[in-house]
Amino acid sequence: MQSKLSDIELIVQTLSGDQSAYACLVKRHQRFVFTLALRFAKNREDAEEIAQDCFIKAYRSLASFKQESKFSTWLYTIVYTTAMTAMRKKRVDTPSIDDEETHIQIENTSSGYDVNNAENKSRSFYVDQAISQLTPDDATIITLFYKGEQSLEEIAQTLGIEANSVKVKLFRARQRLKEKLERNLKHEVKELI
Amino acid sequence: MNNIEEKLWEYIDGACSAKEREAIDLLIAQDETYRQKYLDLLALNREIAAMEMDEPSMAFTYNVMETIRADYAKKPLKAAIDNRIIKAIAGFFVFTIAALLIFVLVNINWSAGHTVVMPALKLPALKVFLSGSVVKGFLFFDVVLLLFLFDGFLRKRRFVKHS
Repeated sequence: MQSKLSDIELIVQTLSGDQSAYACLVKRHQRFVFTLALRFAKNREDAEEIAQDCFIKAYRSLASFKQESKFSTWLYTIVYTTAMTAMRKKRVDTPSIDDEETHIQIENTSSGYDVNNAENKSRSFYVDQAISQLTPDDATIITLFYKGEQSLEEIAQTLGIEANSVKVKLFRARQRLKEKLERNLKHEVKELI
Repeated sequence: MNNIEEKLWEYIDGACSAKEREAIDLLIAQDETYRQKYLDLLALNREIAAMEMDEPSMAFTYNVMETIRADYAKKPLKAAIDNRIIKAIAGFFVFTIAALLIFVLVNINWSAGHTVVMPALKLPALKVFLSGSVVKGFLFFDVVLLLFLFDGFLRKRRFVKHS
């Protein structure tokens, strides 16, 4: 029954003390929040910890959600800042989207490769692989745009930058994704030959 | 080339104006290189849009809700009490004191003389309570209390150091 309610209706129920309504909100958004956290953490354990932390933070400050934006936009802002803070704490290098020289290339990711597996690999596998090789900023923008159903303005709000900057960053991120995809596919073809 | 790609991405995202859209439509129809580039980007766009989202562990929601429940249970009583209750209690006292004050002021006989005659006070014999054994007991209690507080202080310091 609750699963049919909108985010706002569930928030109202949560604020009136119904914790099961919040559980419903968590279930609804957990996949995307976890995917977004994974763009930063690169391993499932850390990503799950970040995602969990985000939902707890969101619960604590739910009363301050003013409903001026979508709940998802507000939640993704929490995810972005929490993931950035967590990564800074772990001292993992998260280079800026504009800093191409510091860009870390993850090469030779297809170890343990065999021909039968390659035949079974779908294009989506290569897209996932290429996204995981992007910087967290690039991967986040692409994920927010394609999977978060966020407009450029909403992404700008989440990342705390101008909508025009988002447009430029999205263009560059897609270009880099395309390059990675082409490089990975070339690598696979070479191994096949 | 970048400019072409940028325009094509805008076209694919539906972010360009009607005029630009018309121009790009024409270019795609007439220019083979442009059309090929458009088809490549369109295919990439479809592939990115089709990517799967990752799934957290089965116990994810349960873990979140359990942490929230534990967090809520740990909340100090001060934070858990509704502010309206505190305000109601404060209001009751303010009202009672104000009513009492008004009653007293109304019932004062202002025409009475200004010489105040204090009733004779009979103080209790305090010397009885200050015998040697009472003082000793009081000092012993003080020492125990002091040691207890000092122990608490040392424990707190050790805990802060370890964490």
